Amino acid sequence: MSGKLIGRRHALKYFGLLSSSAAGIEFLESWLPRSTALAAPLEEMQGVHDSEGNGPEPSPADTESPYVLRFFKPDEFRTVEVLTEMIIPTDDKPGAREAKVANYIDFVVYSAAEFEPSLQTQWIDGLHLLNKLSAEKYGSAFSYLTGPQREELLTEMSTPEHDPQAEHPGYPFYKLLKSMTLEAFFTSKVGLIDFLEYKGLTFLTSFPGCTHPEHQT
Amino acid sequence: MGSQPVYDVIVVGSGAAGGIACHVLATQGLKVLCLEAGRRIESAKDFHTHTFPYGWTYRGNGKPGEYGKLPQGMEWKIKEWTDHLYTIPDEDPYALAPGAKFTWTRMRVLGGRTNCWGRGCDRFGPLDFKAKSLQDGWGEDWPITYDDVAPYYDKVEQFIGVAGDSEGVYNTPAGQHLLPPFNPRCGEWLIKKGAEKLGIKVRPKPLAVLSRPYHGRPACHYCGGCNWGCEVAARYGSVDSVFPHLEGRPNFTLRTNAAVHTVLMDRETGKARGVTYIDSENKQEYEAYGKAIVLAASMVESIRILFNSRNREYPNGLANSSGTLGRYLMEHVAFNDIQGFFPQLAGRPSTNDDGPGESCLYIPRYNYGHKDTKKYLRGWRFDFYTGCGMGPGPGAELPGFGSAYKKKIKELYPAAFSIGGYGEGLAFDWNYVEIDPDGLRDRLGIPQVRFHTFAEYPHAFAIRDEMYAQMEEIMKAAGAEIFPYKKVAPYPLGSVTHEAGGARMGDDPKTSVLDKWNRCHDVRNIIVADAACFVTHPEKQITHTIMALAWRACDHLAEEFRRGNV
Repeated sequence: MSGKLIGRRHALKYFGLLSSSAAGIEFLESWLPRSTALAAPLEEMQGVHDSEGNGPEPSPADTESPYVLRFFKPDEFRTVEVLTEMIIPTDDKPGAREAKVANYIDFVVYSAAEFEPSLQTQWIDGLHLLNKLSAEKYGSAFSYLTGPQREELLTEMSTPEHDPQAEHPGYPFYKLLKSMTLEAFFTSKVGLIDFLEYKGLTFLTSFPGCTHPEHQT
Repeated sequence: MGSQPVYDVIVVGSGAAGGIACHVLATQGLKVLCLEAGRRIESAKDFHTHTFPYGWTYRGNGKPGEYGKLPQGMEWKIKEWTDHLYTIPDEDPYALAPGAKFTWTRMRVLGGRTNCWGRGCDRFGPLDFKAKSLQDGWGEDWPITYDDVAPYYDKVEQFIGVAGDSEGVYNTPAGQHLLPPFNPRCGEWLIKKGAEKLGIKVRPKPLAVLSRPYHGRPACHYCGGCNWGCEVAARYGSVDSVFPHLEGRPNFTLRTNAAVHTVLMDRETGKARGVTYIDSENKQEYEAYGKAIVLAASMVESIRILFNSRNREYPNGLANSSGTLGRYLMEHVAFNDIQGFFPQLAGRPSTNDDGPGESCLYIPRYNYGHKDTKKYLRGWRFDFYTGCGMGPGPGAELPGFGSAYKKKIKELYPAAFSIGGYGEGLAFDWNYVEIDPDGLRDRLGIPQVRFHTFAEYPHAFAIRDEMYAQMEEIMKAAGAEIFPYKKVAPYPLGSVTHEAGGARMGDDPKTSVLDKWNRCHDVRNIIVADAACFVTHPEKQITHTIMALAWRACDHLAEEFRRGNV
């Protein structure tokens, strides 16, 4: 478990020694692309603890298989899944489903009990309001709506986002849902590495910067 | 006193100023005790530089609400990568006068904020040290000139390793022996072209980051994780570059978990004779003795120590016969960045834009001789950040959701830019800090400070408006799309971690605390070596000047020891 991470830390010291010679730089440049092309898998994340006892440890939402719900009831959770997958759908690229965004949101909202219990209230009240709006508009709870009906309702709730004069009672919940979905998706491996294809936080022996003459002249 | 040693110098603090003070004094053979309030840390254990967000239980953000209410400018600092390094404000509160705001960023560990600093190393220029007599008649001059400090900028650059180029611009001189500058990113080139169309110069940003191996430290490997600590010391930090070389020398002692409380005075000689400090582990108070004291605890803490040392002779604070201790606090005029994207870069594959973790280029001040001095004084600099980062980028700011929104995020992700600036902040006597009159104490029982600081004054609003307008013009000339933004009030003092002043240098003991060698006018064997000594706060970053002044003050102190004057 910690072996790989310590290996990486040794690698950092090794770079220090090697990068001071031309031969060393040549060696590193041929070795680096193979070893660091992919971001570290989750198993590498555990390991060294600092002087306060902190150490990187992934969320249970990312490690438990299957994930055990901690906050939402199963029917509430199903709605959260649907909502997050509307914000960032699976299309030709992975989305909230592959990134297990709903699991992570369940875990974070559960964890809010200690310092920010109002977050839990916001979610429960928001889901109630969603179902109330859904019943008013279509006569059914949200999870019984068709796909197009769900799209229509969520779009209505989002109206103030592009029309500052508009108001909608569902807008605060829409903002909460969207912001937490974005945060959960783009801090996940699926979102950051597979979708955005973030290439950084790695080891390079040189930084070429821009290589496009049309940007420079 | 018994068998306790009497050191030549007690250095309080181990950060930017303290690290340099220890290096200069101990390598010249003086017997030095460094007292650091925080605990010892090690880069190999305490920096989680290469941990991805999904390596943390809460993706780096902590539990909801875990860090409490964070003042402006601290939200991005305290993360799971760094929450064991920073002091969480709610856990160790400080006081604010009614309506006042101050963002006090504390990193109470060995090395202080050099563990996570921004690494920008531009030099002040001749007009900055004499802004009153050479620019506009406002405020005060420093009692020193650029030429007095220049050799020390050289020494600092050679010691810490700074990358950049040697051309410089008017009033922003450059070092002549820098490591090679870094290669700019695509977006940085586009901004450079746009600015240059308007006649504005864009220069390599001098950075305390190694572009080549240097003095046994490896070159930067471009991971971009600098704000979480540099595991390989490719960016300067005293924890790796100073203390390992000094510990083990017979003339150097480092004591951590030692929070200095007061300076001890000898009533007969009127000189300082040592300090008291509280061991943060057993909460007991101890004394240490020295022939000279260098306060380098950071601006606020050094001022706090002097106030807490008040006695019969100095009822308003030790060395405060001028009444200016704690006053004339300054900070950059700062506010929100402008953001958007470059259409020319949209839709292209992701690139690794981490580079040296900071921008490779920047825009130094260019508005010399401007005619709007009734509205604002002096000038600003701009910094900008471009390309692929660790977040979704500008597309996430757009309204909407679903597949089209998601595709837009990916399309604009490689095209991101943000541009922001720092304006010169002015010094007023009504911006001050004192010991809290309501008796607030910190976790060790040491009387805590209360800030009376306000960042919203006419110059600040006016220079902000000029800066917003100029940034828009530059980005339009660069061909960028700018997102709509709200103008915000200038950020509170301390928000960009560049607080300075409060024990200013000057030739007149009636209007300053320190002389031109950073010695207290009233007590000449107490030196204040950190940003408290500043007289003005130009648009430049301040750490380089902190280190150069600390080096100069300690060089002079060492010479005084050699002459038997201490």
